[in-house]
Amino acid sequence: MELAGIGADRLHLAWVSSAEAQRFAEVATDTVESVRKQGAFDPKAFALQLNAAERTLGGETLRWIVGKEVALTKKGDVYGRKWDEEQFGTVLNSVLEREYHKNLIYCAVSEGFTSVREIGKKIGLDLKRISYLLADLEKTNMVAFQGMEDKIPVFAAL
Amino acid sequence: MENFEPKIVAFLCNWCAYAGADLAGVSRLQYPSNMRTVRVMCSGRVDPVFIVKAFKEGCDGALVAG
Repeated sequence: MELAGIGADRLHLAWVSSAEAQRFAEVATDTVESVRKQGAFDPKAFALQLNAAERTLGGETLRWIVGKEVALTKKGDVYGRKWDEEQFGTVLNSVLEREYHKNLIYCAVSEGFTSVREIGKKIGLDLKRISYLLADLEKTNMVAFQGMEDKIPVFAAL
Repeated sequence: MENFEPKIVAFLCNWCAYAGADLAGVSRLQYPSNMRTVRVMCSGRVDPVFIVKAFKEGCDGALVAG
């Protein structure tokens, strides 16, 4: 949520048992008040970010990593090294960020922002990071290099 | 903006928060009516994609309670 610029304050998580009616009423009130402070959310302004987030969360990479958590922290990886949870968290966050940025680039390219500079203007990532991730997207056949236009490389989403 | 009523999608676990919400209703506790409840059989059933989708459809906030 934070990464996509939507803000973590719009999403609340709470534990309420079936006997705790009072607590539920409190949680409901707190959530509504906190979201009220955030103001209305315009999904159109975040269309690209939401699409990228959906692709990231629904994609296989993140699911694989999350599914590996217990195996990596309790049993160890293929080299027999056990990961501590903090280390796993760091890796998970960097994978999440990378996948999200990749999907953001992919969504921008599918919407017709075909050069590195245009993509950068659209999504506000630095150009070096975009070129680097574009190369990655090319490897997995999600984006293809289409040729040069006025000495500017043009990409297309597959 | 003064009278802004946020739309909130609440994913409630059938066995915990949903029953809690039910009890809150039965015991006539006051709580805001901005919630649009989605009853799930377990809060573990809630996929992050559901939440992104809720925001895509134009809700202002989301609550997952279990």
